[in-house]
Amino acid sequence: MLNRIENLGTGTLRLFEEAGRTFNLLLLVAWQLVQPPYRLYPIVRQIYFIGARSLTVIVISGATIGMVLGLQFYNILERFGSVNLLGSGVALSVVREIGPIMTALMVVGRAGSAMCAELGIMRITEQVDALECMAINPDKHLVMPRVIAGLLSVPLLTAIFNFVAIYGGYFVGVIMFGMAEGSYMNGMTDAIEWEDVRLGLVKSLIFGVLITLICCAKGYYMHLTRAGSQGAEGVSHVTTDAVVLASVSILFADFIIGALMS
Amino acid sequence: MSQTTPSSSSNAIVIRDLVVDYGPRRILDGVSLDVPAGKIMVIMGGSGTGKSTLLRCMLGLKKPTSGSIEMLGTDLRRASKKQMYALRKQMGVAFQGGALFSSMTVAENIQLALREHTKLDDNTMQIMTRIKLDMVNMLPHEHLMPSELSGGMTKRTALARALIMDPKLLFFDEPSAGLDPVTSAEIDDLILMLRNTLGMTIVVVTHELESAFKIADNITILGKGIVLETGTPQQIRLSEKPEIQALLNRQPRETIVDTDAHLRALTGESDDAKDED
Amino acid sequence: MECSIKAESSYDLLSVSGEVDLQYSPQLREKILASLKAGRPLLIDLAGVSYIDSSGIASLVEGYQAAKSAKLGYGLMNISQTAMQVLTLTRLDRIFQIYASAADFEQRA
Repeated sequence: MLNRIENLGTGTLRLFEEAGRTFNLLLLVAWQLVQPPYRLYPIVRQIYFIGARSLTVIVISGATIGMVLGLQFYNILERFGSVNLLGSGVALSVVREIGPIMTALMVVGRAGSAMCAELGIMRITEQVDALECMAINPDKHLVMPRVIAGLLSVPLLTAIFNFVAIYGGYFVGVIMFGMAEGSYMNGMTDAIEWEDVRLGLVKSLIFGVLITLICCAKGYYMHLTRAGSQGAEGVSHVTTDAVVLASVSILFADFIIGALMS
Repeated sequence: MSQTTPSSSSNAIVIRDLVVDYGPRRILDGVSLDVPAGKIMVIMGGSGTGKSTLLRCMLGLKKPTSGSIEMLGTDLRRASKKQMYALRKQMGVAFQGGALFSSMTVAENIQLALREHTKLDDNTMQIMTRIKLDMVNMLPHEHLMPSELSGGMTKRTALARALIMDPKLLFFDEPSAGLDPVTSAEIDDLILMLRNTLGMTIVVVTHELESAFKIADNITILGKGIVLETGTPQQIRLSEKPEIQALLNRQPRETIVDTDAHLRALTGESDDAKDED
Repeated sequence: MECSIKAESSYDLLSVSGEVDLQYSPQLREKILASLKAGRPLLIDLAGVSYIDSSGIASLVEGYQAAKSAKLGYGLMNISQTAMQVLTLTRLDRIFQIYASAADFEQRA
């Protein structure tokens, strides 16, 4: 029993320690942002990695989710005889909530895990130390481009997701169930306000930083945890941890932002 | 201790009373060491003697618990990040596993420091890279990725990368570990040549006896966090300390004296059980 | 690093002295390439060079390359012992034409 309490204690301590390190990394990256010279290429590379290579999965999931939403809303709205609200229903839920969340989760799975594993491997094979010894700041060279790329890519991917999802709903409503095209589109433009778009944008910006920061920190600081001495197995541990932690943090942050902004 | 050691210009590295703790464990317990400029210092010791920790301290990757390190006249304890980076531009490090950046080719790996720190023309950088590649005999392989290299090629690439900025100080972690004797001898020759022609100060961490005696001007032998012996290869050979002699002669382990104790150790029976018999 | 160029009757003489390192080798490179671009054979006098790093050596190699493609004479002379050691180490002593004197260069170029 005592043992269990003790474990809980060390577990909590470790959690706080890691949260502290992650936050510290955010500060380090922010500090590097104001330290010239700037190099564009590493950022472009990471945008390609996070953004371009996540595109397929974003488009597919966006279309699917949009169609599912269209289907569900159509069924529900039909019962109340207000099918003409379909466009607004789909668009509002996608723009405010589902778009940012789903995109963020996809990016975690697609890019976050790879990012964590890559940095973890760089850490255990002394590549990070090698950078340090070449007088190249690894915070700036490795972490900063990834966080910036996340900050830029996730909102863009979210926009693409939203676009595709809305047309997925359109496909179900207009093409499958034959509702008037005008009522889908007009309903939507009437219902969506700047506040909704702003909420979605703020969410996706924060998610972008959150994902890259958590995944980077897990791999980058892997040598400070028990996994550091476990080699390749340790990398797989921290990667799993990073994906779980990033996903949970996104959901939690989603609620907090939602509560604060509405 | 904060005594100001007379930093004689003849020593590239001066280490005094270095203590390093990892949690409750003491890894280095008062290590003092001088590396004369332009000489090859070989640091030897078995695994767990703290030689990697000592190296990491010298590279500024690990902060010691106490004690001082002075490299090329810079006191690492007081050095700002800027000073540290200025110092590191005069240092080259070849890591044990190579630590090559896996997303870059051999040539890109070698060029990275030049690209980051200088404004040289692209063509100049290419030629400099090829000169270093030629020195380590890797010229035909400049476009390979690190994953395509053999152990020896990785080591040689790592050495070329360490040399690209023409460092005053070169650190080489286990140059011959995992290499065949021919490649390992080639690397030894290269290390000697760097000292002879360029006057580089070189610190080699190794456990290979033969190569150590071949290249060293000075040898320091570590044992369990302390310096067992330090001196020229000749002095080390003549050392009367039993640990040193054991290391040099690679004697087989002592023949069993207490057979009972040995049996107990193997079968796991405790001493108490034995007494009851 | 000091580096001055003097136009002789049939060639340019570039005298280099001091430390040729990462900071100064771009200047050396510029002078070498400018002279060759003007279509003049080039003799580089390294008498005063106390230290030359690989960026300096690389600049000399670039000059060699440029001279060769322009079919111009290109030579080094008065190489100090330290510089010679670096050239030997990089096996470039066999590539460069090394002359004992300016007259020697003029004769052969």
